[in-house]
Amino acid sequence: MRFLDLANRNFKETYRDPLALGFLLAFPLLFMFIMGVVVGGEATPNFPIGVIDNDHTQVSQAFVDEALAEVPALEVSTYEDAATALKDLKFGDLKAYIVIPDGFGQQVTQNWQGDEADITLQMTYDESDIMISEQIISIINTVTRAFARIEIPVTINATPIHIETEITYIDFIGPGIIVFGILILIPTSARIMVRDKEKGFLARLLTTPTKPVEFILGYSLCLVVIAIAQIIIFMVGAWLLGTDIVGSLWLAFLIFFLAGLSSIGIGMVVASLTKSENQAEPLCWLFSMPLAILSGCWFSIEMLPSYIRGVAYAFPYAHAIDASRGVLIRGVGLEALGTDFLFLIGWAVVIFAIGVILFRRSMRS
Amino acid sequence: MDSNRAEPVKVNSDLAIQTFNLTRIFNGLVAVDGLDLNIKKGELFALLGPNGAGKTTTINMLCCLLKPTGGTATIMGYDINQHPFKVKEVIGVSPQETVISERLNCWENLALIGRIHGMKARELRIRSQQLLEKMGLGDRAKDQVRKFSGGMKRRLNIMMALIHNPEVLFLDEPTLGLDPQARRAIWEYIAWLKREKTILLTTHYMDEADFLADRIGIMDKGKIVALGTSVELKISMLEKHTMIVYAWNLTQRVINEIRSKYDEVEVTDGTMIITDKHLDFKEIVDLLHASGAVVRSAYIKEPTLDDVFLHITGKELRE
Repeated sequence: MRFLDLANRNFKETYRDPLALGFLLAFPLLFMFIMGVVVGGEATPNFPIGVIDNDHTQVSQAFVDEALAEVPALEVSTYEDAATALKDLKFGDLKAYIVIPDGFGQQVTQNWQGDEADITLQMTYDESDIMISEQIISIINTVTRAFARIEIPVTINATPIHIETEITYIDFIGPGIIVFGILILIPTSARIMVRDKEKGFLARLLTTPTKPVEFILGYSLCLVVIAIAQIIIFMVGAWLLGTDIVGSLWLAFLIFFLAGLSSIGIGMVVASLTKSENQAEPLCWLFSMPLAILSGCWFSIEMLPSYIRGVAYAFPYAHAIDASRGVLIRGVGLEALGTDFLFLIGWAVVIFAIGVILFRRSMRS
Repeated sequence: MDSNRAEPVKVNSDLAIQTFNLTRIFNGLVAVDGLDLNIKKGELFALLGPNGAGKTTTINMLCCLLKPTGGTATIMGYDINQHPFKVKEVIGVSPQETVISERLNCWENLALIGRIHGMKARELRIRSQQLLEKMGLGDRAKDQVRKFSGGMKRRLNIMMALIHNPEVLFLDEPTLGLDPQARRAIWEYIAWLKREKTILLTTHYMDEADFLADRIGIMDKGKIVALGTSVELKISMLEKHTMIVYAWNLTQRVINEIRSKYDEVEVTDGTMIITDKHLDFKEIVDLLHASGAVVRSAYIKEPTLDDVFLHITGKELRE
């Protein structure tokens, strides 16, 4: 089996290169660690928020005292009127304030009784701090839905939720950083393949009876092993840093793996179209860094303009982040992931096929 | 030019490599121009020529890396266009650039090529051991090769072409960029392989071709411009001989006297270069002594392949 010998060689070339290995594994882990320690993780963020209860029912009282007050990330103060809260927000004493409108108690009660009813909360927040406001929205959203026991959206987020979860920042950011690590697989794949082309190693082996398909299998196998190792290490890393894993680990792994296959495929396409590492690497970064931001590796992309979100969702990574967040944080199953999952499979198959065709072609002279 | 000849002319079983009007054109630039070459089994044949003469292009076509734009060739009877994978089974190639897997050790590099050629573990181990000893890399066999010197890497480069015991060996500039000592060592290894294998070697070092080759093809602008043994080339190409004299106290009178007897006489700072079809060594030295000059050294310069190349192409075979 020539491709096994080739895969073995490719693998040794990678794991014996501390720099490449460090880049593949340590870089995303470092990111995860920094994000976890600085913004979330053990030091759970503490957001001062104000609450104005205009409903004045037992239900709304319970929502403030039992639901909101129990969230470790929130420091709740009650206000009598919105004007005072707004003043404190402007002075920076509050990060946001919520107005519980009249009728809230009734809406919640209706939900408890099984009739679906829209729940509205008004929230005013400090716009300048996108990261924090985004988290507060996410937390309030989660808490409210848990409290009202609903699966329909309160504000913007349309996915069902796991009621017991306390969503911390690391929970939220863990899947994003894992996908960031998977995006780094693009330059790695391209580098491994294009380096052999540039240094003439491929040409040398083409003077042996090795068939083109054996080369492709040799690279793919090695890269798939790297992807698997990478995903496992990242998942363990995310868990160690405090990401609560609620859903199926296997399903999450599968989601990351499919995204990993797309990365390998994209790397193969880049390696086919370029002649040297110096051409391939910048091209990969130019592609994967903006995509990491657009796909929501570091922050939620809900507030981005819809056309930019459209760009992000044309690639598999935003889908992988959504789907893995759904699985890891909220414990949703395969059935709830439908389109995201199909999209991931479709992308992996198509880009891999294109990669193989182009790389085969680039081997001929 | 008959560039579309698909059928090889009848294959001679004494020949390891035959080319038939082999041609390669890159974007209108003719790199190899209708090459017809016959290399016998067991022969060490050197393609000698300056950079850009078409040597590497020729090798690349013969080892099926590059499709000819015209003509064809056979290696051990297999046509390079029709049976490239048969050809690849019988050849070993040591490329011009040192192409090894930097983070593997010697054993692993050799094993990779060996296993690709379907060698059994035992056979592979014995042959690797043998090559490592012979090529003097036995001590370092377990070190990652990126730590090796240029000469060691090139030796491994050649070993990787040899590991599967191929019948035909292509060595593209095997000593490029090495210091004289390392080159000498590699020459000895190549000489050790002579007769066992058919070897096609390219070089732009005339001393390399001179030292190693049974026959030399001098290549320029995609064509073989002269072909023969080193001695044949030197004798047939050079009608004139050159004598070089270093002497003190050269007088104008004796210079003029020598000029009157020989075709070309050049004098610069005590060095006299005399060129003619026939040179009388004794007569020249006697004339100089009689004139009172002190001759420090005098010798007839042996013609070199460089002179042959200069004679044919009008330019020097420089690195």
